[in-house]
Amino acid sequence: MPTPKKRRRTLSQVMRGIRRRARRAVGGVRRVWRRSLQLRVVTSTMVISIVVVAVLGVFLMQSISTTILGARDRAARSEAQADRKAVLVSLNQHDGDASKQSADPGQGAGRGEDNPLAALASLAGRAGPAVRYSVVIRNENLPGEFYATTNIDETSIPQKLREDVLRKPADEDSTQYWNLRYKDRPQTVPGLVIGTRLDTYGTGLDDGYEIYHLIPLEEEEKNLTSVRQMLILVGAALVLLLAAISSLVTRQVVTPVRLARQAAERLASGHLDERLKVRGEDDLARLAASFNEMATTLALKIHQLEELSHVQRQFVSDVSHELRTPLTTVRMAADLLYDAREDFDPMAARSAELMQNQLNRFESMLADLLEISRYDAGAAELDVEPVDVRDVVLRAVADSEALAERHSTRFDLRLPGEPCMAEMDSRRVERILRNLLFNAIEHGEGRDIVVSVGADRDAVAVAVRDHGVGLKPGEENMVFDRFWRADPSRARTIGGTGLGLAISREDAMLHGGWLQAWGAHGEGSQFRLSLPRAAGAPLRGSPLPLVPPEVEMRRTWRGHMTPVLSPAAADGGRDAD
Amino acid sequence: MRTRAGRRASAAALMVALACGSAACSVIPIGGRSIVGENTSKGNPLGDPYARVIAVPPNPDWSAQQVVSGFRAAMASVDDPRREVARQYLTDAFARTWDPRSGVTVYRQTELPALQAGEKDTRVTLKGTVTALIDKDGRYRPSGGPLNEPFVLVKQPNGWRIDSAPPGLLLSEADAERAYLKADLYFLDAERKGLVADQVRVPIDPTSNFAKTTVGRLLQGPSSSLKGAVSSAFDGTELIDVTTEDNRVVVDLTRRVAPELVEPMSAQLAATLAGLTKGGWDFEVRVGGEPYYTDSPLTVDAQEQAAFDPWIAPGEIPPYYVADDALWLLGKENTGQPVLGAAGKKDAVRTHPAISAHAQVAALSKNGKGVSVASLTTGGDWQQWVTGESLAPPCWDRYQTLWTVDRLNDHTSKVMRLRNGQRHPVSAPDLDTVYVSSLKVARDGVHVAVVVRDGLGEQVKIGTVIGQGNETRIANLQVVVPTEDKQTIRDIAWKDGKTLYVLTGKSDLLEASLTDEAKSLASDSRIQNITALNGSLLAGATDDEGKQQILHWTSAKWEPFVKNENGSTDFADDGPSMPAYPLG
Repeated sequence: MPTPKKRRRTLSQVMRGIRRRARRAVGGVRRVWRRSLQLRVVTSTMVISIVVVAVLGVFLMQSISTTILGARDRAARSEAQADRKAVLVSLNQHDGDASKQSADPGQGAGRGEDNPLAALASLAGRAGPAVRYSVVIRNENLPGEFYATTNIDETSIPQKLREDVLRKPADEDSTQYWNLRYKDRPQTVPGLVIGTRLDTYGTGLDDGYEIYHLIPLEEEEKNLTSVRQMLILVGAALVLLLAAISSLVTRQVVTPVRLARQAAERLASGHLDERLKVRGEDDLARLAASFNEMATTLALKIHQLEELSHVQRQFVSDVSHELRTPLTTVRMAADLLYDAREDFDPMAARSAELMQNQLNRFESMLADLLEISRYDAGAAELDVEPVDVRDVVLRAVADSEALAERHSTRFDLRLPGEPCMAEMDSRRVERILRNLLFNAIEHGEGRDIVVSVGADRDAVAVAVRDHGVGLKPGEENMVFDRFWRADPSRARTIGGTGLGLAISREDAMLHGGWLQAWGAHGEGSQFRLSLPRAAGAPLRGSPLPLVPPEVEMRRTWRGHMTPVLSPAAADGGRDAD
Repeated sequence: MRTRAGRRASAAALMVALACGSAACSVIPIGGRSIVGENTSKGNPLGDPYARVIAVPPNPDWSAQQVVSGFRAAMASVDDPRREVARQYLTDAFARTWDPRSGVTVYRQTELPALQAGEKDTRVTLKGTVTALIDKDGRYRPSGGPLNEPFVLVKQPNGWRIDSAPPGLLLSEADAERAYLKADLYFLDAERKGLVADQVRVPIDPTSNFAKTTVGRLLQGPSSSLKGAVSSAFDGTELIDVTTEDNRVVVDLTRRVAPELVEPMSAQLAATLAGLTKGGWDFEVRVGGEPYYTDSPLTVDAQEQAAFDPWIAPGEIPPYYVADDALWLLGKENTGQPVLGAAGKKDAVRTHPAISAHAQVAALSKNGKGVSVASLTTGGDWQQWVTGESLAPPCWDRYQTLWTVDRLNDHTSKVMRLRNGQRHPVSAPDLDTVYVSSLKVARDGVHVAVVVRDGLGEQVKIGTVIGQGNETRIANLQVVVPTEDKQTIRDIAWKDGKTLYVLTGKSDLLEASLTDEAKSLASDSRIQNITALNGSLLAGATDDEGKQQILHWTSAKWEPFVKNENGSTDFADDGPSMPAYPLG
C-alpha cells in the first residue's frame, strides 16, 4: 500500500514539477511582458507592420504580375493573329496550286505539297532565333499534317486546351498557362499556350487546322521572381526598421519614466534628497517637476513629524527624569509608612501596603520609560561578548521560577546537547527572555511552557511557547506596540508595564536579530528570538520555525496536503497530543 | 491653430503630389545621349528556327492513299530517328525487314500518286524523278532517273497497312531540305597541314542544336567520299555538348587530343562551324566541362582555319597570264609586267602555264611532248621535268608536286606526279583505260578533277588523291558533269576545295560540285580558258579577230580586266591570255 502511494506521489510530483516549471516560465515571460513597456510597444508595432507589409506586398506582387503577364499576353495574341493570317494566305496559295494540279482535291490532298510547312518555317523565322515563341499546326483530318517549329515538344499542348479549341468556333482564341517542354532541354519552362482553329470559311480549305502558339515566359518568371525577392527583402527591412524606430521612440519615453520610478523607489526607501533632472518643458519634464515638488513637500512634512516626535520623546524623557526626584522623596516617605504599618489601624496599614505596591510599579514603569526613551534617543549601547545561549536561557528560567510556581506552571526545556555560542549582550538577552517567560506565564493559564533553543551555522534562536488563549489574527505585530493589551478588560496579575515586549523588540533589533510572535486562537502562542552568531552579521534565517511544528503538521493533514517537514518537526508531534 | 494645421496639410499634399509626379516621370528616362548598339550580323551557331514534321500514327479510318501520305510524313519526321512511328504504318512482316537507315532517296513529285486497287492488295504509286541519294554516312549524291515505286497496301483489321515499299526512306526534296542540315565538315589532309572539306547532310536533331549536331557528325569522321584520304584530330575523343557563352561557342569534349593536334583540331572546329557562326563567334574547347589546360582555357579564334591553312581564304593573290608569248604577273591598277627569270622572256614554245605556291611555273610545250619548270626568280631557267607521248597541261598541288597525264593513245592514260623532276606513277585504275584530257588537283591537295573523254564525249569527274609519292592513287571518282551528246570540255578550274568551274566546248560555264547538280553561269562565247581563286574568276578570251584579253567575272557579267600601258582594256593582238592563279 505505501509503495503505489509513493509511486503515485512521485508521478504526480513529477507532473507537478513540470507544471510548476512551465508556470514559472510563463510567469517569467508574463512578468517581463508586464514590466517592459518598450517590449510591448515594439512587439505590437512589429505585428501590425508585418500585417500591413504582407498585405501591401501581396497586392503589389499581384498587380505587377498581372501587368507584366497581361502585356505579354496581349502581345502574344496579336502576334498569333498576324501569324494566323499569314498561314491562311499561304495555305490558300497552296490550295490554288493544288487544284491546278488535280481536279479532285479531296482525294489528292496527299503530301508532297508542303505549304503548311513552308508557312510554318516562315513563322519560325518570324519568331526569331532567340525563340520568342514556337508554333504547332495540325490537322487531324489530313494525314501527316502535324508540324512544329524548331524544338518544341508537341506534348506541351494541354489536352484541355485542345478540346477547347476543337469545341470553340474557328478563329477564337483559347489560352492557358502551361509548362512547356522543349526537346533540347530536360526541364520544363512555364509558358503561355494560345490555341485557335483556323477560320477557313470561303477558302475551300479543310477547317480542321489547329494552330497553337507557345510562348515561353522564362524571362517574365525570372523578373517576377526577382521582384518578389526584392519585395520580401524590402518588407523585412521595413518591418525591422519600424521595430527599431519604435524601440528608439519608446526608449526616449521610457527612460525618463524609468528614472522617475527609480527616484520614487529611492525616495520611498528614505532618500528624501532624491530629485529628478528637469530638462525641457514637455510632459516628462513636467512630470519630473511635479515629482520634485512632491518630494520636497514630503521631506518637509517628514521633517516636521520627526521634529514633533523628537519633541514628544524628549518630553517623555524629561518628564520621567523630573518625576524621579519627587518619586524618591515619596518613596522614602512611603517606606517609612510601610515599615510602620504594624502600628496603624488596619485601614491605614492596608493603604500603606497599596501605596508601596503601586509605587513599585510606578518605579518600574518609570524605569521602562527611561529605557525606552534611551532607545528613542539612540543612546542604547551593546556590551557584546560570546555567551552560551543555554546559560542565558537557564538564568532567565531560574528568575521566572518563583512566578511560575505561583501560577503552577511548569517549564519544558528543550536545549541542544552542545553549547550554542553567540556574540551578544547577555544582560539584554536575559531581559528579553525574562519578558517572554513572564508573558507566557501570565497568558499560559497554568499549562506547560516549552522553551526550545536551536542553532545553525549562522544563527541561534530561542522559542517560547505557551498554550494559552493565543492571539487573534493580526495581533502578531500589535503585541510589540507600547502599552498594547491583549484584553483591555483583563486585570494585570503581574506587574507588567505594557512596555516589556516593546523594549524586548528594541533589544533584539539592536542585536540585528528578530523578535517575532505567532499565535492562533485556542492554540496558544509562540515567541521566537533569532540572533546572529556573530555581532553585526546580517540574519538570513532562523534555526527554529515560527509556527510550532505540531500546529503546522495538523494544519497540513487537515488540508490533505503534502507536509513540508522541517527538521524540528520530529519532536513537535508529541506536544500536539 | 487651425490655419497652421491647414497649411501643414496642404504642404504635405504638395509634397506627395511632387513625389508621385516625379516618380511617374522617371520610370523611363527620356532624353539623354543616344546609345550606339552593336548590330553586327553574325551567325547563330545554335541554328536558326526551322519547321519540322511530327509523325502521327495511322488512323484506322484512313484510305490507302491517306495511309501512304501519313507514312511519307512519318518518314520525314526528324523527331523520331528510329522511325518507330513510321513503322506502325507497315505490316508486321514488312516492318521486320524495313530499314530506315539504309539510305535516303530524294525525289521530286511530278504527278499525283496513282491508285491501283487489286483483289488482295492496293497499290499506290508515287510518280516523279529521283534527284539525289543520301548515304548512311550523310554523303549526298545527285542522281537521276524516274521514280516509279509502288506502295503495296493490304487491308488489316486496324486499317490499311503497307506491305511493301521502296527500300530505305523516301523523302521529297523539300522534306530532305528540312530534315537534313547541309554541313561542310573539315578534315586534315595527309600532312595534317591543310583542311579538306567534306560536304555532307546531317539529320536535324530537335533534341540538340545545329552546332552540336554538326560537331557530333565531325567527330564521326569523313564520309565515304574522303575515306582514306583525310584524317581527323578528334580521333579518340567524344562530344559532350556544344553551347554558347559570352559570344563564344563552347565545345565540350570527353578527352584531350595529342598536343601536336591541338592546332589542327582548333582549325577543324573553326572551319566546320564557320558556316553557322559566319565568323562572328570565337570558340573554346573544354574537356569534361573543365578548361582545356589546367591553368588556362583553350580559346580558338573565329578565323583560326585561315591561320592554319592559308589556302582556305587566300585573300588577294595576283594572277599570272601569258602576254606576248611571255608570262606576266598582274600588278597594281590591273597592269602587268613580265615575271623574273626565263619565264618572263618571250618564248613561243610553251603554253598552259601552271603556277605553284612556291614561285615556280610549269608549262607544257606546244607539241605536248614535254613539261618544263622554271623558277620565277632572277636567273630562273626552264628545266625539262618530263617528256611523254601526249601530255596533259600540268598542274601543281600544295605539296610542290607537279601533276600531268601522259596519253599514250585514246584508251590509255598514265597519271604522273613529279617532285623535283622525279616521277612517281599514280595508280588510277579508273583512268588507265580512258583518255584524260585534263587533270586539276584542288588547293586542298586531296580533291582532284579530271576530264575524261570516251566515245560519247567528255565528262568531268571529281575524285580524291590518297597517299603520297609512289603510293599515290586516285579513287572515289564521281561524275559531276555527265557526258552529253559529243560535248567537249575546254577547261576546268577549282574555285576552292568544293566547287569546280567547268568550261564546255560551247563556251558554257558550269559550276559543279559533288553535292549539287551542275549549275550554269552566264558565259561569254569568246572565253577559251579559265582560272579561279575563291571569289575571283578569270577567263582568257579571244574575239573573232583573234585578239585577246582577260575577262573578269563580276557578280553579274564579264568585264575586260587587264589594262595595257595606256590604261586601255581593249582586246589586242598578242594581248593577255591564259590567266593562271597559283595552284589554279
